[in-house]
Amino acid sequence: MSSVLERLSTAVIAGDAENSVKLVHRALDKGMDPKDILDNGLVPGMDEVGIRFRRGDMFVPEVLMSADTMSAGLDILRPLLAAAGTQLIGTVVLGTVKGDLHDIGKNLVGMMAEGAGFEVIDIGFNVPPERFIDAIKEHQPNIIGMSAMLTTTMRAMGHTIRAIEEAGLRDKVKIIVGGAPVDAEFATRITADGYGSNAPSAVELCKSLASAS
Amino acid sequence: MQVKRNNYYIHASPVFEVLTEDEIEAIYFSALRVLYETGVRVYDKEGVAVAHAGGAIVEDVQSDSALVKIPPWMVDKALATLPRKVTVHGPDRKYRMELYKNQIYYGCGSDTPYTIDPYTHERRRATYKDVKNFAKLAQALPNIDFHMSLGIVQDVSVGTYDRWQYLAMLESTSKPINLTAVDLEGVKDLLEMAYIRLGGEEEWKKGPIFSLYIEPVSPLSHSEEVIQKLLFATDHHIPFVYTPCPLAGATSPTTLAGTAVQALTESLFGIVLSQLRRPGAQLIIGGLMSNMDMLTTVYSYGSPEMALLSAAYTQITKWLGVPMYETAGCSDAKLYDEQAAMEATINIATAALSGGNMIHDVGYLEQGLTSSPEMMVAADEIIDMVKRIMRGIPVNDTTKALDVIAEIGPGGHFLEHDHTYSHFKDEIWRPKLVSREGWADWQASGAKTHGQRVHERVIEILEAETEPLLDEAMYKELRHVCEMADARHKDEELDMSMFV
Repeated sequence: MSSVLERLSTAVIAGDAENSVKLVHRALDKGMDPKDILDNGLVPGMDEVGIRFRRGDMFVPEVLMSADTMSAGLDILRPLLAAAGTQLIGTVVLGTVKGDLHDIGKNLVGMMAEGAGFEVIDIGFNVPPERFIDAIKEHQPNIIGMSAMLTTTMRAMGHTIRAIEEAGLRDKVKIIVGGAPVDAEFATRITADGYGSNAPSAVELCKSLASAS
Repeated sequence: MQVKRNNYYIHASPVFEVLTEDEIEAIYFSALRVLYETGVRVYDKEGVAVAHAGGAIVEDVQSDSALVKIPPWMVDKALATLPRKVTVHGPDRKYRMELYKNQIYYGCGSDTPYTIDPYTHERRRATYKDVKNFAKLAQALPNIDFHMSLGIVQDVSVGTYDRWQYLAMLESTSKPINLTAVDLEGVKDLLEMAYIRLGGEEEWKKGPIFSLYIEPVSPLSHSEEVIQKLLFATDHHIPFVYTPCPLAGATSPTTLAGTAVQALTESLFGIVLSQLRRPGAQLIIGGLMSNMDMLTTVYSYGSPEMALLSAAYTQITKWLGVPMYETAGCSDAKLYDEQAAMEATINIATAALSGGNMIHDVGYLEQGLTSSPEMMVAADEIIDMVKRIMRGIPVNDTTKALDVIAEIGPGGHFLEHDHTYSHFKDEIWRPKLVSREGWADWQASGAKTHGQRVHERVIEILEAETEPLLDEAMYKELRHVCEMADARHKDEELDMSMFV
C-alpha cells in the first residue's frame, strides 16, 4: 500500500481533484506537516506532469486538470503554511495590456503558474498601466506578467513598464512579457526582465525569477 | 473564376462536402439558440443601442459592456436584406471579385509580425519595403486575385501602420485589397486614401476598391473597436469581412461542430447589427477556424481540422446565401519547405473543392506569425494545378474524339493530328515551377530543387522593372494622409525603438 503522499502525487498526475482534497485532509489528520505534504505530495506530482508534458505524453487539457488538482490541495494548505511562516514560491500578477481583449494565452500561463504553486492574481484584459501599478501596491507580487496579441497593443507593454518606473516601483517587481507577436528582442528593447515563448516556458521563467529575488 | 458549372454540367467538377443539409440546419438552428439564450458580450454602447432598438434583449449592463441576446426573428429579418453577392474591385477595375456561390478567389493573409527575407532567408520583423515587395508579387502572380499585406509595417510608427501599409500596397498592386485598421480613425483615413486613389467618393460608389477585415474576439465578444468599425463600414458602403478566429479546444469547443456553432453565432451578430444599421450592408463571413495544438498551444494553420472546418463552414455559408471567407495556402512550417508545400496543397485543394469564395492566407507560415515570398509564389502554382482539376473533364463529341480514334486506328499515333494541335493547350496543364525533365536534362539545367526554382522566381519578379502605379502627385497626396496621422499620434510613441 503506497503512502498518502505517493497517492497524492498520483492524484495530481491523474487530475483527480476530489481525491487530492481528501488525501490532503487525510495527511493533515495523520498529523503530517503542511510543508511536507506540499513538497513530497503535491510538488512531485506536478514535476512528473511537467516531465510527461515535455515528452509529449501529456497534453495541455490534462496538464491543466493536474494544475487544478494541485491548486485544490494547495488551497487547503496555504493558510496553514502562512500561519507557520512558510514562504511559498511567490505571487504573480497577470494581465492583458490596454487595448487588447485577447486573454487565452494569459489564462493559460495563470493556470500553469498556479499548478507550479504560485499565487496568481489575474487582473483581466484591457488593463491600463494604472491598474498594474495598483496591483503591485496591493498584492506586492514578485512578478508582473503582461500579455498582448496585437503588434499595436505590444506598445502598451513599453508604456506600462515606463509607468511602473515613474511610480517608483520598478525595483519591487520582475516584469515578464509574452504573446504571439512578442519576442525576446522586444522584451529587451522595452527593458522587461524576461520573455516566455509559451505558457510552460513563462512558468519556468517565473520560477527562476522568483527564486532569484 | 467559375469553377463549378451548373445545369447540364452539374457533376463536371469534383466537390468536397462534409455536412449533410440536416447537419447544416442543426448547426444553424443551434447558433440561433446560442445567440438568443447565451447571447454575446458587446463592449460598445452605440452597438448595444442599435441592437436594443432593433428588438434585442440587453442584460447584465456593466460600465464597459452589456450582454446582448438576439431573438431568432431578428436574424430572419437581417438575412432577408443581406446581399447574397459581394463585389470588390481593384484600383484597376479589370481586377474584381464577385463573391457568391461557387466563385473562388485566392489571396494573401494580413499582418504577420515577421517575414522571411527574400534574399537572406532571415526571419525578421516586417517593414514597408517588405509589404511593397509582397504587393509586387501579388500583382505578378496570376492566381492571386486579391491582396492582404503579408506583413505589419514596423519601421514606421506602429500606431498608424495601417495607412503606411495601404500606401505600400497601392504602390505595387492594383488588385482588390482586404485591409486591416488600427481603429475607427484608421478606417476613416484608409477610406480617404481610397477616394484619392480613385479620384473621389463618386468613383467609390461605382464599386469599392477594398474590403475591411474586422475580427470579433472568441468566445462571443465584440469589442468597441470592432463594433465601431462595423458601423462605420456599414454607413460608408465598405464591404467587410466579419470573421472570428475561434481556436477549437481553447476559445471554442474542441469538437468541430461546436466550433462551427460558436463561429456562426459570432458572425450572425455582425449580420444582424449591420442590417439593422443599413439594410443591404455587404458582409463576408467565415474566417479562420482551427484547433489549438495541445502540446505547443499554437493556433494551427496547417491542420486537417482547419481544412475540414473551413469546408464545413463553406457549406453553411452557401446554405445561408452569404459569401465565405476561407483559409488556405498556409502552414505551420517555419520556412517554405516540404511541410509547407504539403500543408498548403491540402488546404488549397480542399478550399477549391468546397468552393469557399474569398480564400485568404496564401503565404502564411508559422501559424500566421511569418510571411514568406517563396510560400506565396509556390502556392500560386499549387492553386493553378488545383484549378485544372476543378475544370474537370468535359465530355462531348469533340472531346470523346471518336472520329479521330477511327481515323488513326490501331497502331498509329496522335502527335501530328489537328485534334491534338487544337486541344492540347486547354486539356493539358503546364507547370512553370514543377520539374518534369528527365534526370540528364535536370542535371544539365543545374540540378535545382523545387525550393531553389521557387526562390529564383521570387527574385525574378521582385527585380523586374514595372511601371509605377501611382503618379508623383497622387503618391504625395496619399503620403500626406499617413504623415498627418503620424502627427496626430506622435505622443503615443515612446522615445525608444520598440520593434526595429
